[in-house]
Amino acid sequence: MTELGPGAYFGEVALVTGQPRTASVESLVETSLVKVSKEEFDRLLDHNPQLARHIIQQLSGWLVSGDRRLEEEVVHQVKLRQISWFDYALMVSLSLFLALIFNFYNDSGIPLIYGWGEKPSIPEISLGQALEIYQKNEATFVDARKSAFFTQQHIKGAQNLPEVLFPLMYPMFQYMVTQTEGAKDKPFIVYGGTLSRRFDVVLARLLKKKGFKQVQVLQDYGGWRKVFPLEGKPPVEAPSAPLGLAGYLEWVPVSIFLLILIPAVRRSPYLSIYCRLLVGVIFMSFALSKIMRPAVFALNVVDFGMMPSWGVDLWSLALPWAELVVGMFLVLGIRTRAAATLIAAMLLIFMVGLLHAIYLHLPINCGCVGEVGEPVTWWKMLKNTGMLVMCIQTFLYDRFLVLDRGGFIWRASAI
Amino acid sequence: MNRESLKLAAVFGLILVMLAVSGCGESRSQFAGTYRSVNPVGEKNYIDLELEESGKGTWTVAGSTTEFTWVVNDRKIWIYLKTGAIIIITPSGGGEELSADMTGEWHPGCPPNSCVTFKRVAKGG
Repeated sequence: MTELGPGAYFGEVALVTGQPRTASVESLVETSLVKVSKEEFDRLLDHNPQLARHIIQQLSGWLVSGDRRLEEEVVHQVKLRQISWFDYALMVSLSLFLALIFNFYNDSGIPLIYGWGEKPSIPEISLGQALEIYQKNEATFVDARKSAFFTQQHIKGAQNLPEVLFPLMYPMFQYMVTQTEGAKDKPFIVYGGTLSRRFDVVLARLLKKKGFKQVQVLQDYGGWRKVFPLEGKPPVEAPSAPLGLAGYLEWVPVSIFLLILIPAVRRSPYLSIYCRLLVGVIFMSFALSKIMRPAVFALNVVDFGMMPSWGVDLWSLALPWAELVVGMFLVLGIRTRAAATLIAAMLLIFMVGLLHAIYLHLPINCGCVGEVGEPVTWWKMLKNTGMLVMCIQTFLYDRFLVLDRGGFIWRASAI
Repeated sequence: MNRESLKLAAVFGLILVMLAVSGCGESRSQFAGTYRSVNPVGEKNYIDLELEESGKGTWTVAGSTTEFTWVVNDRKIWIYLKTGAIIIITPSGGGEELSADMTGEWHPGCPPNSCVTFKRVAKGG
């Protein structure tokens, strides 16, 4: 819209092109108007080259500025669709950098690689030999895993001393040993190691430090289930703790299954904003619930039993920071397509872990939102699937409310 | 300061604010103090639990002391060990009595077979 003054003219585009007018005019004050017909206009141009040149200049100016706006808008949209390795490198390196710096200054920091440099100073005993000793009742078997795992299944007659609670539980264990006839003089055979952490070796080392001379660990740490007589209770679902706002928020992504059924909404960039902000905020709240105490989250990772022990601490340090950084990129609208794919990749990893835990009936805490009391269930799978669909929608259709890639775009604008 | 630096500054600023907010918990003052287990471990060793208002604490039994940090979350005391284990304690009687769930898991109450009860005592006593 523009305001014209005395001597100005309008409607010349229609006169030159013979097309309908491109604009309408409204008078604000008492105005004298001279009407020029097509024939008069052509005659005027024939006899007045100065006027003809002026009109050509004006029309060319409009063409150029229109072209420029079009180009800017196209470049903007193209940039939004761009995705590069740099985006991933930026987010991953920023997460790692922050994780390492924070861990260095954090009072609850953990070593980058658990047990790095420690020598395996505990003698091992083969399953066959241990079984022979077991049958003769010549050793005390000690299960080093958490009590929930022990309750579910253990070697018949074994004692439970969770390695992670050793400082608190040892006096009770010591008392039990003194009270059990002959237990003091028997060797101790410790078991309960996993791919993710050798609880058995660590516990055996701690028992040796406490003065127990005859301590051994079982070879083939997972093999006891096939060889020894077992006892335990059938798996029960762990009680769930109230998770507060984050627990409720996590349910909202399930709404995507309804929203994508509406054709007009399915591809809407406004739905992308909803998905992006929601997934971003959820991931940030996930991260904040575990970022302060990486050792707690590391134990949650260990419980899944899928990560090799050398990678547990690195993963436990980096993942919450990656959740925070990538979630923030989504919320702020910076490199959103790359952020959406990174979150989708994390979700896929979580879902594989959840399936593994559900299939094996592991008595574990999810470690997703809170530190404890979040059972692994199919509901959790559904919520994660909802977030995965949201990430795909964001990847495909996100283009508004973004801070990056050529300036801030508030809404769709006509070119 | 160019545009890229401003974006990164926004990200860092937001992270700092969120960390500060997430670090805040409920007040510890009501539960800070010295506690002793009601029953001994074994025949004569009682557990002494010291909760300092700073968020640090100690668990002493049979001459062996373990340090930990603690927070109050949803009216329960959460004890964090260096190993990553968590002990959840349910206070009662306005913080005069504590029930520690020794399973290291979350339960709505304290499981009877894995529960250690503490009573507040005067410091040093």
